[in-house]
Amino acid sequence: MKHIDLKVNGVPISRDVDDETLLAVFLREHLGLTGTHVGCDTTQCGCCVVHLNGTSVKSCTVLAVQAEGGDVTTIEGLARDGVLHPVQEAFHQCHALQCGFCTPGMIMAAVDLIETHPEPLTEAIVREEMEGNLCRCTGYHNIVKAILSAAQVMKPAKTASE
Amino acid sequence: MAMYPVHYNRPVDLEEALRLFTERDDATYLSGGHTLLPTLKQRLAHPSDLIDLSVLAELRGIRLDDKIISIGTTTVHADVAASPIVRQWIPALSGLAGSIGDRHVRHRGTIGGSVANNDPAADYPSAVLGLGATVVTDRRRIAADAYFVSLFETALEQGEIITRIEFPIPDQAGYAKFRSPASRYAVAAVFVSKSGSKVRVAVTGAGAAGVFRAHAIEEALELDFRADAVALGQIDRAALLGDLNGTPEYRANLIAVLVRRALGHLGEARSYK
Amino acid sequence: MFADRSFRAVGKPLPRNEDQRLITGRGRFSDDFSLPGQVWAAMVRSPHPHARIIGIDFAEAMALPGVLGVYTGADGLRDRLRPIPHNPVPSTKYDVKLTGRNGTAVFIGPHHLLPHDKARHVGEAVAMVVAETLEQAQTAAEHVAVDYEVLAWVADTSQAAEPDAPKVWDELPDNILVDSTFGDIAATDAAFAEAAHVVSMKSHIGRVTGVPLEPRAALGSYDGETGRYTLYAGSGGAVRQKHELAYVLGEEPDRVRVLSFDVGGNFGTRNRAYVEFGLVLWASRKLGRPVKFRAERSECFLTDYQGRDLVTEVSLAIDKNGRFLAMRASNLSNVGARCVSLSPLSKGSGLITGSYDIPVATLRSRAVFSNTMPTQAYRSSGRPEVTFAIERLVDKAARELGFDRLELRRRNLVQPAQMPYTNAVDSMYDSGEYELNMDRALRLADWEGFAQRRAEARSRGKLLGLGFANYVESSIGSPKERADLIVHRDGFEVVIGTQPAGQGHETSFAQVTADLLGVPFESVKITLGDTDVVSAGGGTHSGRSMRHASAVIALGVEDLIAKGKALMAHLVGTPPTMIRFEDGVFSAIDTNQALTWLELAQQAEREDLPPELRGGLRVRRDNEMHAPVFPNGTCICEIEIDPETGGVDIKRYTTVDDVGRCINPLIVHGQTHGGIAQGVGQALWESFTLDPSSGQPLAGSFMDYGMPRFDNLPSFKTQIVEVLSPTNPFGVKAGGEGGTTPAPAVIMSAIEDALSEFGPPTIDMPATPAKIWSAIHERPRTKSLSDTVR
Repeated sequence: MKHIDLKVNGVPISRDVDDETLLAVFLREHLGLTGTHVGCDTTQCGCCVVHLNGTSVKSCTVLAVQAEGGDVTTIEGLARDGVLHPVQEAFHQCHALQCGFCTPGMIMAAVDLIETHPEPLTEAIVREEMEGNLCRCTGYHNIVKAILSAAQVMKPAKTASE
Repeated sequence: MAMYPVHYNRPVDLEEALRLFTERDDATYLSGGHTLLPTLKQRLAHPSDLIDLSVLAELRGIRLDDKIISIGTTTVHADVAASPIVRQWIPALSGLAGSIGDRHVRHRGTIGGSVANNDPAADYPSAVLGLGATVVTDRRRIAADAYFVSLFETALEQGEIITRIEFPIPDQAGYAKFRSPASRYAVAAVFVSKSGSKVRVAVTGAGAAGVFRAHAIEEALELDFRADAVALGQIDRAALLGDLNGTPEYRANLIAVLVRRALGHLGEARSYK
Repeated sequence: MFADRSFRAVGKPLPRNEDQRLITGRGRFSDDFSLPGQVWAAMVRSPHPHARIIGIDFAEAMALPGVLGVYTGADGLRDRLRPIPHNPVPSTKYDVKLTGRNGTAVFIGPHHLLPHDKARHVGEAVAMVVAETLEQAQTAAEHVAVDYEVLAWVADTSQAAEPDAPKVWDELPDNILVDSTFGDIAATDAAFAEAAHVVSMKSHIGRVTGVPLEPRAALGSYDGETGRYTLYAGSGGAVRQKHELAYVLGEEPDRVRVLSFDVGGNFGTRNRAYVEFGLVLWASRKLGRPVKFRAERSECFLTDYQGRDLVTEVSLAIDKNGRFLAMRASNLSNVGARCVSLSPLSKGSGLITGSYDIPVATLRSRAVFSNTMPTQAYRSSGRPEVTFAIERLVDKAARELGFDRLELRRRNLVQPAQMPYTNAVDSMYDSGEYELNMDRALRLADWEGFAQRRAEARSRGKLLGLGFANYVESSIGSPKERADLIVHRDGFEVVIGTQPAGQGHETSFAQVTADLLGVPFESVKITLGDTDVVSAGGGTHSGRSMRHASAVIALGVEDLIAKGKALMAHLVGTPPTMIRFEDGVFSAIDTNQALTWLELAQQAEREDLPPELRGGLRVRRDNEMHAPVFPNGTCICEIEIDPETGGVDIKRYTTVDDVGRCINPLIVHGQTHGGIAQGVGQALWESFTLDPSSGQPLAGSFMDYGMPRFDNLPSFKTQIVEVLSPTNPFGVKAGGEGGTTPAPAVIMSAIEDALSEFGPPTIDMPATPAKIWSAIHERPRTKSLSDTVR
């Protein structure tokens, strides 16, 4: 058992956890933030992606104790004061979700991609960089559209035209 | 599955890490966790203790020391991929790092974790072997040629910690891989380097005993460093893996094709589909 | 009914109502629910494909920390649990009627929650452990010692059908549970005898698994005071599962409440109840605590109901001008260790002739047991298999007989003038313009420009192939649906018994309702999934939902308008005939008295109303529709092959889909995209196979099971065509499965075209790079590769 202190969605959190508790389980079952999902057991599906200390990580493959002292952002923390993040808005407008199970991880991954990728995003880059997130419903077509659309909003000067 | 209970340890320095290892019943080092934690989640191992090396700043970072690039063991793949030093001097290595797994994995997975594990389809072992790197541990220096023993088996002793890996800068190098559509691991991948008259060709993903040097190809390329010099006959099928992803014949073919392509895109790492 | 009407919301690509909660992390999936005091269940699963259970020793497990109980099949029998009533034989009016040999009833192999006699497939649960934590339950499960007597087993579909194959069920003389023959045998034989040409083909469309991204999960609790069970579990139909689980438990249906809210993908995998759903309810009663089960992804690979697995032998008799005269087909479906659904065999059987006017046919449909996980409907149940068979056969005929593959098809397509068209196995196609679909697709795909693209690919050392497939498919499904339409003070509610897992019912049903009521789309809310609120309904499968929902809502709105008129008449003091309803407003003719729905609803709460007008402004409407509908279309793709590696790159993928009336094109295009991905997945990457020597599954995780991903699919060009169906008020067919239906055929058609100079290659799906490379390099060929590729 360890005591951990960290920030989750800007809120200071202080809890005791079993050493082997995964960050995904900590978020879902200890904090009740069930927006982050677990879809596989081999670190491949990406449903569990959150931001830890500013970068995207698969929370099913990080121990909660490894997030000690850190800063976690989950899907629940993306919208500010009820205003949707541009990626959330783009997913909605472009119909980039159907069942919604992969969506939280997908959105968090997309936010990280748009914010950190050094070159302007193209369809080819999006398809390559998002391979760590699986979707079974959409065939990816609309997710690509949504990410490119959100990139236009977030970094208008840096988006290549297709 | 839910992991077996385990005790997590956060050492303050390398010495404490080593001490903890000897003191505990059955300890394992944790780095990026992207090899170890999936193994523990499948209950394929049941250590009593995890010793987290990723908290040790001394083990992270990339340095250039006089024609050697030294990469700290807990440096994540994304940092190697983005490193101006590696991009300038061994772009095939930064490209290789940028091709490992997916972007989220690259934010956590480390070079030390990959090299210590020696997965037969992992990317880094081919670079370590293909560049003739030196694996530096807490107690000695191990040449690449002596480091990789067999599938998931290395020359590391119990408790030995890789602290950094030193890559000599080659004249030229290239990496080419062909990935399984499922696992996204290499069905075959080759790392080719040339330094002076010496050529090294390291193959991962295809060997029945893990990463290996394709000596016959190296010899041919040392005589004539061009794609035409590579021939299928230089590859020993008996040493190759056969599985759902391909027969030994198929892998032999891939190796030849990938070496030729690597020669065509030296200075880069490319994944083919 | 609504053929000429113009709509405000219907037909518009409105973004979805369900998105808000899903994009902000407030979805309610099965594992998101927890109850105070809940405990965890873990399953002990058979490692053997076939084994008698001699004994189960769980003393060691019971002694481990936190363990509360271990339950076996013997316990289930003692507690008089009944088998799950899967009701697998399709029995609606227009389903193809499958029988056992000589017309006998089909033996389905009972499905107890836990078997007491044998384990019949790898992964079958033989015991359940319940403990305080998940880790304790899983650890204790590892310590349950099952004494097995290993038996001979069979997994391969054709082998399982052999008379001397190991028997899965002692009740049958062999493994054949279904053997029915349809069509006109004499006429078929006569046509074949006279035909100028006969072309034949045998294929095995292999087994895949649905892989919805949400692993199945169930939380069961029992209230000792009320005697009621509550189950939180995503499904394909909460009402159906409530009735099934009540039956298993030996309880009246109103004792069971099922809550199925957000469901993370279904595709057919959730259309039948899982043993764990019953097990957690049973355990919660025995322990007096809520019990939770959550499948690992590896358990999902092993024990989700799986899809496809059909061996099909087809022959086409053709005259000298290329007219199709007759068809023979023999289809063998592998249902697995027990029969939970014969939908794939049945649906496929009705469509063997595809889009073509083939006057006579004979079809033998058989189903076989094997020591594998049971199969059931999976995205376009049965239709991709038979579409593959007929379309590949037509390609083969074109190639062998020297016809152009498009011309041969045009010559034989069912024509619009023939609609409604009854095919040679008695399916009545409702409507469609098959040749126009072809023309549209050819234009959209730039068929004419292909030659230039092929040459360009060749200049880069690549082989570009062009694939083509037509399809017609069917949507039948449960014939009954119920809707409660309620006008509240502040908005409108429709309670309905479909069960979406991403199809957008909260949006498309609201569009239909809003337009019929004459109210804003935003004011309509759709309620689903809680069987204490949803009293009846058919669930979601087979593309049935939009058709049934729009019909029952249309009828319900009629009833509601009549009720509204009656109420208004009473309030105004005139006969109902003097009340007009238009555009959401009730008005008394020749007066200025008018009320909106919401105003009327307020009045409906008054205490001083006559009895027949009390109870609020609401109606309950049931509807039953049996007539199937037949979505159809054309699909074209271009695939580039790297001959040195066998690597595959899909460059273009174009579809034209006749879905009947399209309520929401945004949603329907999305369904097409997802359907395409699943069909392409089967053709190129997906395969759930067993090791032939050990019977062990080879694909237990995403490490081995290849999935469609961002980087192995292109963006698609999809066009929707609306040829209304005459069978229901809105003219809806279905739009959820047409993306999948032609995909395996079109992909293999393109690969065959790319490799035609080496050909024709025989590549079994999935067409992996290794197989493609082998087809090029490891077969006798007429030219060497270097002659043809620069």
